Amino acid sequence: MHQLTDNALMLKVKSGDLDKMGLLYERHKRRLFGFFYNISGDSNLSEDLVQNVFIRMLKYKHTYSGEGSFLAWMFRTARNVKYDHHKKTKALFQADVSTLDYRMVDDDNVVVQLEKKDNLDLLQKALLRLSEEQREVLVFSKLKEMKFSEVGEILGCSEGAAKVKAHRALKALKAIVQKMEIR
Amino acid sequence: MKQEEFEIQVMEYLKGTLAEDKKKVFEDFLEKDTSAKKQVEELTAIWDAFGKSQIPEPSAQMDERFFELLDTEMTRTTKKTSSWRKEVMALLKVVFRPQLAYGIIILGLGLLAGYLIKWGDSETNVPIETVEISDNQELREKLVLTLLEQSSANQRLQGVSEASKIVRVDEQVINALLKTLNNDPNVNVRLAAIESLSNYVDNALVRQGIIQSIPNQESPIIQVTLANLMLALEEKGSIASFKKLLEKEELDSTVKKKIENTIASII
Repeated sequence: MHQLTDNALMLKVKSGDLDKMGLLYERHKRRLFGFFYNISGDSNLSEDLVQNVFIRMLKYKHTYSGEGSFLAWMFRTARNVKYDHHKKTKALFQADVSTLDYRMVDDDNVVVQLEKKDNLDLLQKALLRLSEEQREVLVFSKLKEMKFSEVGEILGCSEGAAKVKAHRALKALKAIVQKMEIR
Repeated sequence: MKQEEFEIQVMEYLKGTLAEDKKKVFEDFLEKDTSAKKQVEELTAIWDAFGKSQIPEPSAQMDERFFELLDTEMTRTTKKTSSWRKEVMALLKVVFRPQLAYGIIILGLGLLAGYLIKWGDSETNVPIETVEISDNQELREKLVLTLLEQSSANQRLQGVSEASKIVRVDEQVINALLKTLNNDPNVNVRLAAIESLSNYVDNALVRQGIIQSIPNQESPIIQVTLANLMLALEEKGSIASFKKLLEKEELDSTVKKKIENTIASII
């Protein structure tokens, strides 16, 4: 079946065909929810923020030029929504340290650790111990349909810098996982 | 291998975007450097596991809330449009009241009579007016050329709009408009350039320029607008350009259909 591109749909929304925002929502709601969940670890809050992204896209539809990637534009909007949330709550998304089992296990091999059962949940917790910027760059880099050039576009840096940032964030995540108790 | 270069290659390797030949070189490098190999293996494990980490499904309430919001927004926009229409209709009713209409007609007749009387002895002024028009035109052309070079899309739009006011454009302005159509990063400016150029389609340079720009256009809206223009002009010379555009794999299927129909209609 024919599918209009995200760009074409957003241009239709811009020209007043608001109905098309429903299609964009269906296409991207999980991706956006995943983004907010990965950086906040809070389902309810993530749902609210997804909602706010679409409200903002409707409000600022006139600024959409159709140039560049829709995905990058949408995630830039998502980051703005996140900043607004921080401004309102005056707090960054941080892991609740009490929920993390944390001890030094230097000698254990991270590859073996991650093969163990239930450790994916622990990885999620480890992710929350990274800085917000590191979490963001990892989430964006991991999206299949997102190129590093687009990650750079969202973060306001070059493609090369986005790769270096992603590498360092991944390395930091590895270090945290290595230090956490793996059950 | 420098540290930064290594970091970049690791990420391309993990993302699967490293070109085959580079991938082979990178893997050979890892075979020789066991410490780097261990590092990459560990990062690969984290990278793969990160993709598998459990993210809960958003609830059905999220969908409900969104569609409710969209519905409200659509209703609000429709109301806004219809109230705007009502206001215009009300204004028209006031304007077309018989008394006002008679008044306007009488005023119009008065102005016409005054103009005819004045016209009789105004022949000597004609050359001066022509000079003014020609001066204005030159100024406007300069303004257009300057505005089209600006970095702000709004100013470029203004430039295109100024160009539409020129009665007889010269080659320099045409070339500037065509350059805008082909290279401007903003789709609205490009659309405005088409609209402006469509005023001068009798000019062969304009027609040829538009036809040549067809295969270079990537925005669906621009492609459809050009198709409509060529259809209106029944320009057979555009068929080859449209066929070239059809060869593009990334062409939107609705646009493709539109272009095929356009070609069929022009033939």
